[in-house]
Amino acid sequence: MTGMKQYFRLFNDELWIRSLQNMLILGVGSLASIVLGFILAALIDREVRGEGIFRTVFLYPLAVSLIVIGIVWRWLFNPSVGVESFFHSIGWNWVHFNWLASPQTVMYGIILASVWQSTGFFMALMLAGLKGINPEIWRAAKLDGVSFWRLYFEIIIPMMKLTFVTCVILLSIGVVKAYDIVVAMTNGGPGGSSFVPAYFAINAYWLKENLGYASAAAAMMLLFTVVLFLPFLLSAVVRRRNAG
Amino acid sequence: MSDSSTATVPSVVPVGRTRRRRRIRPHQVAIFIFLVMAALLFCVPLYVVVVTSFKSMDEVRHGEIFTLPRLWTLASWKYAWFNACSGMRCDGVRVGFVNSLFILLPSLVLSISLSILTAYAMALWKVKWANGLLFTLFVCAVVPFQIIMYPLIKITAFLGIYGTTFGIAVVHAILALPILTLIFRNFFRSIPVELMAAAMIDSGSFWKIFFEIVLPMSGNILIVILILQITSVWNDFIVGLTFGGHDAQPMTVILNNLALTNTGESNYSVDMAAALLTAAPPLIIYFVLGKFFVQGITAGALKG
Repeated sequence: MTGMKQYFRLFNDELWIRSLQNMLILGVGSLASIVLGFILAALIDREVRGEGIFRTVFLYPLAVSLIVIGIVWRWLFNPSVGVESFFHSIGWNWVHFNWLASPQTVMYGIILASVWQSTGFFMALMLAGLKGINPEIWRAAKLDGVSFWRLYFEIIIPMMKLTFVTCVILLSIGVVKAYDIVVAMTNGGPGGSSFVPAYFAINAYWLKENLGYASAAAAMMLLFTVVLFLPFLLSAVVRRRNAG
Repeated sequence: MSDSSTATVPSVVPVGRTRRRRRIRPHQVAIFIFLVMAALLFCVPLYVVVVTSFKSMDEVRHGEIFTLPRLWTLASWKYAWFNACSGMRCDGVRVGFVNSLFILLPSLVLSISLSILTAYAMALWKVKWANGLLFTLFVCAVVPFQIIMYPLIKITAFLGIYGTTFGIAVVHAILALPILTLIFRNFFRSIPVELMAAAMIDSGSFWKIFFEIVLPMSGNILIVILILQITSVWNDFIVGLTFGGHDAQPMTVILNNLALTNTGESNYSVDMAAALLTAAPPLIIYFVLGKFFVQGITAGALKG
């Protein structure tokens, strides 16, 4: 079992376990960007005026490098000159926005920045999905007097199941790969509390110069990616079988 | 839906778009206000960064991040471009800007020319094992960078291009080939079979058909791919960090070093100016060619 040595070491490493936990936290927290993306898309789709402007505004973070975004958010979180100091200067001393300094809140800070960055992307996917829905459905629902909530929860969202699945898969793959934003915001700190698998692998390679160890971590990343892609592959196979 | 007006209208009159636009209902006002507020929230970081970059450091220290500068100054921009320190070097982000350009141009030429030809051959000519190749490309497109990082370092070192801008460009081209080929192929599949058959009967050769029929049809998809590649190469950090060595670091790597270097007495207005300079090229493209940009990122979303 010599070949498995690196993997045993890996799963006995607290930092790796921490990385996996953080990956899950980041994944669950980032789901907010799908929810927000859907809400914004649904509202923009119903709002006739200014669709182009709203779309442009919600999507612009996507054009910016994650390093830039990380640096900007690190600065907003800065306790002495950032958002917190602004609120304290107007007397709201109960506001605590120094999230990156504490191991308990650092991941929330990273989640906030990632959600801000990626919401526009999911909004764009959702908008494409909403445009594909037959406009007769809205008209029919209106004539039948279907309530707003029932229309969305029982008709529109089930119709967009495929779009939602695509969004979740793309989001998960993005979370497995997350690296730049962590480097720019926290560099893994404080005290290794914001390590994620991609950061762990690169760190093991450069700082500890341990190729086998880094490869084991990278291989785990590959495994996560493959598992996340299985639904895509399976659906392609099923479609081909149905067609043929 | 709180809609009392339709009840009085005879049911034969369709509730059309033109009708809806003339009357503004309360819930539409609410939606509009909500969207405006969300949009403002999205703009806050950009606003703060722009405002801060024009402030002097004394003013930044007051902590009034939302107020406009009392004295607008370009000092931070000049300092960020010419003098800011990244590690031991104090030549500003312009070094990174030049490096990024030298990375971007060859990588665009390499990745686009190779992928468009592969896709053209796969989609429109009978290629053996085309389906197997397609599957392989799909797998390659999603493999995480960390998996192939070490082999790529070894290969580029062996070829003597490790630590050069050209080396980074080659790595970018390699990493982009699978997804670009897939996007081009999907596009070429939409070209009617009859058109290709007619062209072949017309004794069109592989290259003649490519340059005279296929390429002129590919204008839109080329713009989409071009924007996708420019943004992803310019915004890349990890490839530049891994293959840049000391002399070929792209702008994002220099920016990150710069923000880490002045940790003692941070000069935030310089950091913000440097961040804006780094973000500017893709942002300008985004605001000018937004439609193609969205198509590009949705198509390239799979990339590993």
